[in-house]
Amino acid sequence: MRKTITIILLITAVFVPFIAFNVLPVIGDPSSAPNTHVSDHYIEHAIDECNSPNMVTAVIVDYRAFDTMFETTVMFLAGLSVIMILANRPKKKIFAPSSLKRFRESGHPIYKTVNKDVMISIIEPVILIYAIYVLFHGEVSLGGGFQAGALIGMTYLLDVMVVKREKPIFNLPKKRAAAIAGIGPFIYALTGFISIIGGGLYLEYNKFPFPIHQAELHSIGITAVEIGVTIGVAGTIITILNALMERISFDDDIN
Amino acid sequence: MTLILQAVLLLGLIGITLAIIFGKDLMISVVIYCAFSFLTMLLYNIMGAPDVAFTEAVIGVISTVFFIIILKSIDRKTK
Repeated sequence: MRKTITIILLITAVFVPFIAFNVLPVIGDPSSAPNTHVSDHYIEHAIDECNSPNMVTAVIVDYRAFDTMFETTVMFLAGLSVIMILANRPKKKIFAPSSLKRFRESGHPIYKTVNKDVMISIIEPVILIYAIYVLFHGEVSLGGGFQAGALIGMTYLLDVMVVKREKPIFNLPKKRAAAIAGIGPFIYALTGFISIIGGGLYLEYNKFPFPIHQAELHSIGITAVEIGVTIGVAGTIITILNALMERISFDDDIN
Repeated sequence: MTLILQAVLLLGLIGITLAIIFGKDLMISVVIYCAFSFLTMLLYNIMGAPDVAFTEAVIGVISTVFFIIILKSIDRKTK
């Protein structure tokens, strides 16, 4: 019975997209919406309407904010499915190659040249500050929520993989990391409701109920949404890392 | 000039892909995959999409680290 349901679901999942593809415009069709007026509208009016010098940010989190919200949700679901598939299997014990261990214990010069703990500890704050800069400067220059979240996730990854601490500064077990990954899309969705309170449409940043200039309203909206994306991406990366670490337990440190 | 640079980078991508496919050592394949990511980043940058290039640079590093973690649990050499 369960097998039949699975097979029916799989066949539906394969064939429904094929039906949907017929409705989409052909790639490169000159009469499709993006090739006639939509792109020109974005290029001409992005600065007036969204007050964002970076047109990519204007399109992603202002014109197509609803689309990006579900992209963030899809990423959160991807992280969840990775941890659900990998974490339910028995652990596998890994033994480090003995040659490396012998070198380390005898104090081979390879292991005395650079103190990698200190090196990574110096690099980490720089990456974090850069992530914050990318997040809050995203509407003006390069970057945005996704890149900032990836940088924060990378910092955690480096800290866990390289630095040997007695007690980790941020300890995010798998449940907590998955919860953090879920908070991101939640913040994003909540931002949309603030504009409904002000009498606008969902995620319409002009209608925020704050008595400030329109450009600042847009800036606040974009920043709030990007904070949501950042938390979602960072949480997803940490969740996947936890899933991989759950699968294998190291006998020795990784490098 | 830009066209020549793009052609060189695309040829490099093809070469790197072949090296990844036919490599016998998975560790070397993973490290070369990082180079693939770097060349893609350069390509995006030349084509005028620095936002995408930035994402590619960060995600390339993260996925390489994930692959290296996974390599600890499987056999490194291919049969």
